[in-house]
Amino acid sequence: MGPLLRRYRFLVPYLLLAPGLIWLTLYYVYPAIQMFITSLWSGSISQGYTFSFANWTNYTEALDRYSEQFIRSIVYAALATALTFAIAFPLAYTIAFRGGRYKNLLLFLVIAPFFTSFLLRVISWRTILGDDGLLLGMLKNLGAVPEDFRVLATPLAVITGIAYNFLPFMTLPIYVSLEKIDRRLLEAGQDLYATPLMTFRKVTFPLALPGIFAGTLLTFIPAMGDYVNAELLGQTPDTRMIGNVIQNRFLTNNDYPTAAALSFILMAGILVAVAVYARLLGTEELTSGAV
Amino acid sequence: MSEHDPILGRRITRRTMLQGTALAGVGAFLAACGSPAQSSAPSSEPTPVPSDGAATEMPTPSDVLNFANWPLYIDQDEGNPPKSPTREQFTAKYGTKVNYVEAVNDNDSFFGTIQPPLQAGQDTGWDLTVLTDWMAARLIRLGWVETIDTANTPNFTANLLDVYKGVDWDPDTNLRAPWQSGMTGLGFDEATTGPLTSLNTLWTADPRWKGKVWFLTEMRDTVGLTLLKLGFSSETFTREQADAAFAEIQKAVDDGIVRSFLGNDFKEGLVKGDLVLGTAWSGDIIQATLEKETLRFVIPDEGGQLWTDNMQIPKGAQHKYTAELMIDWVYDPVIAAQMAAWIQYVSPVKGAKEALAANEDPEVAALAENPLMFPDDAMLAKVHIFMGLDEAEEAYMNNEFSKVTGN
Repeated sequence: MGPLLRRYRFLVPYLLLAPGLIWLTLYYVYPAIQMFITSLWSGSISQGYTFSFANWTNYTEALDRYSEQFIRSIVYAALATALTFAIAFPLAYTIAFRGGRYKNLLLFLVIAPFFTSFLLRVISWRTILGDDGLLLGMLKNLGAVPEDFRVLATPLAVITGIAYNFLPFMTLPIYVSLEKIDRRLLEAGQDLYATPLMTFRKVTFPLALPGIFAGTLLTFIPAMGDYVNAELLGQTPDTRMIGNVIQNRFLTNNDYPTAAALSFILMAGILVAVAVYARLLGTEELTSGAV
Repeated sequence: MSEHDPILGRRITRRTMLQGTALAGVGAFLAACGSPAQSSAPSSEPTPVPSDGAATEMPTPSDVLNFANWPLYIDQDEGNPPKSPTREQFTAKYGTKVNYVEAVNDNDSFFGTIQPPLQAGQDTGWDLTVLTDWMAARLIRLGWVETIDTANTPNFTANLLDVYKGVDWDPDTNLRAPWQSGMTGLGFDEATTGPLTSLNTLWTADPRWKGKVWFLTEMRDTVGLTLLKLGFSSETFTREQADAAFAEIQKAVDDGIVRSFLGNDFKEGLVKGDLVLGTAWSGDIIQATLEKETLRFVIPDEGGQLWTDNMQIPKGAQHKYTAELMIDWVYDPVIAAQMAAWIQYVSPVKGAKEALAANEDPEVAALAENPLMFPDDAMLAKVHIFMGLDEAEEAYMNNEFSKVTGN
């Protein structure tokens, strides 16, 4: 095998890439092409569908009609990402710098809820947040909130639901980048008469940026397309996100072209947003640091 | 009424089951898009022509019958669950093996599997399918069902309850045979709302239920009841009346009365107390009363909806005669009672109630008195079957309804 391997050495990288490439071609490229074709269809189930580039109006019509849901998705995803960050950063910081011998246990606790199904967790939030459930029932008994106050079926439920569900995706990358920080750099900062706050601002935070970058992307991108939280915790016309619209167009209205066009717009929108974001933060350092 | 009934307690109904498989359904739908329908039902050899010359006039039952139905929608042998007495007895009588497949999880996704062969004029592999009114009507509209030869179905002709006859999409009652029905009306928690009878309550911002009202996501149920509320008919209505109904639904949303548009989920909210009033399916309320005794289902004064899942013989079915025998078989009141005791929806068969009441097991016999399983004439007089829609109308209605629900 030795000489053979040496002779075909140039093939090795391709062989190593092959599983990933095949996988992406089968389950990403092919469906994406299929979806693109569908998005330019016109017609109906009984009459059949015809493809034409003239049907690009599917896109403009979809954008026009669903701009509200698109904007709502961006706002919800951004707020949920901010909320997740606000919770995850102190959490990751504490685990990385103060975790001591409990580090692994604490990390385990961060991901422990994820041993149960995503759906079950969202459904159990419905019980916790119920109008007379664990939380609100108690607050109402104490008179802290009015009797008709509710969390379910409001934007608050959807945003907090998303934030909860993506918490580990934010916590873990931030933890990794904080954990990697050379403690001597912090000491050096102090030696140079920096206050703890200044050390944090000038040393810790910049070095944590790769983790923050990864964490916000891992949260924001799936949150944009999230469908479950709005479906199960929102359930009201004014909390529908773009994922819910796509599902409804596809399965209820059998409007495959619009559903496909919406999916494409969502994908393109996210790509653009990520590109801008990466540009602003300066990708090169980040990707070199993030892995 | 039914909370003492242990049979109800241990049973999973089709709808509860569907809730659990909703996501699987999406997967099935996607899978269905790409695969030919024939793969799901083995087609069999053509029926051998009998050699006996005297019998050539009479068709004979085939060796096999391919039957597609919803999950948990036929009686099962308690000791031997997948087996069904109704099917076993059919096999014993006609010698036909019933290839019964729980292939229908959702009207749209099943339609996706039979649409390509039907469009191509080919056999779907199924001899009998069970689909909800509107989908059954769509198949009829597309000319994709065989006419039932009623000469072969004397029980069906004699025992189909009158309320099912003469709908506009099946005027001669020979293009579909109802399998089971359910009703859509007002569901509420009487402990909170007090007794209610009118649909107007859904548009009344009463502090007892404002913000705790749900409407069903099923367009026909919600729009049907709204049409009735407005004093229109849900069996025949104009575009203007439909538009008025959508505006009316929007009004209830804008006034903050309606909290959510829901499918099966309403049951959970109702039991927990997040919801107290809404448009509900009878069968789900039967189930939910086990968990909360104060829940009620009424057919509103203005009327309610009756929806039905229907047996149909798809165009080009290989065993049409045997399918007709099966239709007739389940219209035998004794068989119908046997099925009703297990399924606990509304049986469309005359005499099923009496046959059930005669059951030696008092628990089973008591089911005959359950008004949600056997609605009385006064109740039946108040329920309506939603108008059959053509493709353009259906697309329009679904689209307008989507706007109201935020989609």
